[in-house]
Amino acid sequence: MIRRRRLGLAMLWVVLAASSVIMLVPWFWTVTTSLTPAAEVFSGNLLPNPPTLEAYAQVLTLIPFGGYFLNSVVVTVTVVVLNVVFDTCAAYALAKLPLPGRGVIMIVLLTTLMIPMQVNIIPLYRMMVNVHNAVPWLGADTLSGIIAPSAVQVLGIFLMRQFFVSVPDSILEAARLDGAGEWSILRRVVLPISWPAIATLVIFTGLAAWNDFLWPLIVTGSDASRTLPVGLALLSKKNTVNWSETMAGTVLTALPMIVLFVILQRRFIEGLTAGSVKE
Amino acid sequence: MAETRLGRWRRTRRYLPGAVLLAPALVVMTLMFFVPMITSLIYSFGDYSGIGPFTWVGLDNYTEILVDPRFQQAWANTAVFAVITMTVGPLLGLVTALMLNNRIPGRTFFRAVFFVPVTASLVVVSTLWKPLLNERGLLNDVLQLIGLERHDWLSDPSTALVAVSAASIWQGFGFETVVFLAALQTIPADLMESARMDGAGPWQRFLAVTLPSLRPTLLFVFVVGMIGAFQAFDQVYVMTGGGPVGSTTTVVFYLVERFRSLDLGHASAAAYLLVAVLVVISAIQFRIARTR
Repeated sequence: MIRRRRLGLAMLWVVLAASSVIMLVPWFWTVTTSLTPAAEVFSGNLLPNPPTLEAYAQVLTLIPFGGYFLNSVVVTVTVVVLNVVFDTCAAYALAKLPLPGRGVIMIVLLTTLMIPMQVNIIPLYRMMVNVHNAVPWLGADTLSGIIAPSAVQVLGIFLMRQFFVSVPDSILEAARLDGAGEWSILRRVVLPISWPAIATLVIFTGLAAWNDFLWPLIVTGSDASRTLPVGLALLSKKNTVNWSETMAGTVLTALPMIVLFVILQRRFIEGLTAGSVKE
Repeated sequence: MAETRLGRWRRTRRYLPGAVLLAPALVVMTLMFFVPMITSLIYSFGDYSGIGPFTWVGLDNYTEILVDPRFQQAWANTAVFAVITMTVGPLLGLVTALMLNNRIPGRTFFRAVFFVPVTASLVVVSTLWKPLLNERGLLNDVLQLIGLERHDWLSDPSTALVAVSAASIWQGFGFETVVFLAALQTIPADLMESARMDGAGPWQRFLAVTLPSLRPTLLFVFVVGMIGAFQAFDQVYVMTGGGPVGSTTTVVFYLVERFRSLDLGHASAAAYLLVAVLVVISAIQFRIARTR
């Protein structure tokens, strides 16, 4: 019986290892191609001989990669900070503070989850163009135009609310009896125990902002405001001959998130699957 | 009189902290969500380029796109894409999760390998799959090796949509793996054990214990996945640009094309038809989940 189970596990391991190869080969190919001179791509050689960083140097002259990267970082960090502030405050109010019409607000917010972003992009774009015409450093083709529609996310509010509901009222009551105001209760009592939930929110909103494509593609019109995914997509459309360069761009775009994922694997997985397992 | 005013003041003051904390989020939501949502509903009833005058046309935009063969093809493509990705994706996710739900050496590594593409975004994955699916690409090298013919997957109208779907599945099923795995780990071990004691084989245990426990997770995976599949755009934009001959044009791709040719009325009508379909699909799934 035990021997049969061992054999079963060994077979399972072989299947998993084989599927891992299928998952890893495309990445491997991407990296080796980025290290191969353009003329030798598709020549049938699996390994570049000798490997060269030429494509990386080339792609950096083709497109302003540093600028895209910086834009992506600024957009992601700002979106995360805004969501942590707005979503957390709203969620706390909806979970723990007396408010008229709390139930109605919750239902309205819930239904917005069914409305796809694509419905709003057209008026949003018009709005951003108008803002940009009035104030040149805001709106369309600026980072603020990319950021604004993601500043508050309903899923983030729900995530935080779910956590706050689980905080016992007795802790808050005790602080109230000590004469603490609502603001200082939130800051001194609730926030210090909320970091795991906030970490989830950070990863969830950060990854979405980093990888967001359709809206940044539409609202940006120049390299000064483009983010990495937009820059990479334009490169891959423009450059259909030189695969080494495109793959070098792909590696540069994918690398920061993959490194972060490897370091924070458990947090990433928790952050992205939050809300899937019903409590 | 004075007392009721005092009472009202007290009540207002009681609500004040909550209102102050909630207000910023509601203001942003109103400006960035509710106002645009209503504006685009109005656009959908008009002839509007964004610059010139707005002319009311009633339901004309809706009736016109509904008879537009390109829009019909976009719906057919989107439906095929949704069916392929939402059957193969969750199935792969469930199978890998069941495999990983064992004490196996390297489990964390395998899980990470499946999950990495999820963190890497659709643009990255689509960009790297484009050369892999090329006639001279790696996939064809492998096919040739096992004696099959080379094929330019993305340039053939009859295979492009399937190729785009396959790349999307490769990118996304790791999410389902992780979600299913988390759910599998919440199934109490003694439940499994007592089923085993009752003489249930692995297949019976799966049907009697595992599957029923996964019901809320399945609902989540299908609702979220379907909504995502019907909004497919990134992979199409990068891999095929909607072609060849419209064979990979999705509803959102069609919508964005209309928008970019400054036809805001038809684009908004397409968006609202998408909303209607998504609401119906989600409602059906919730109904199925409740009756079973």
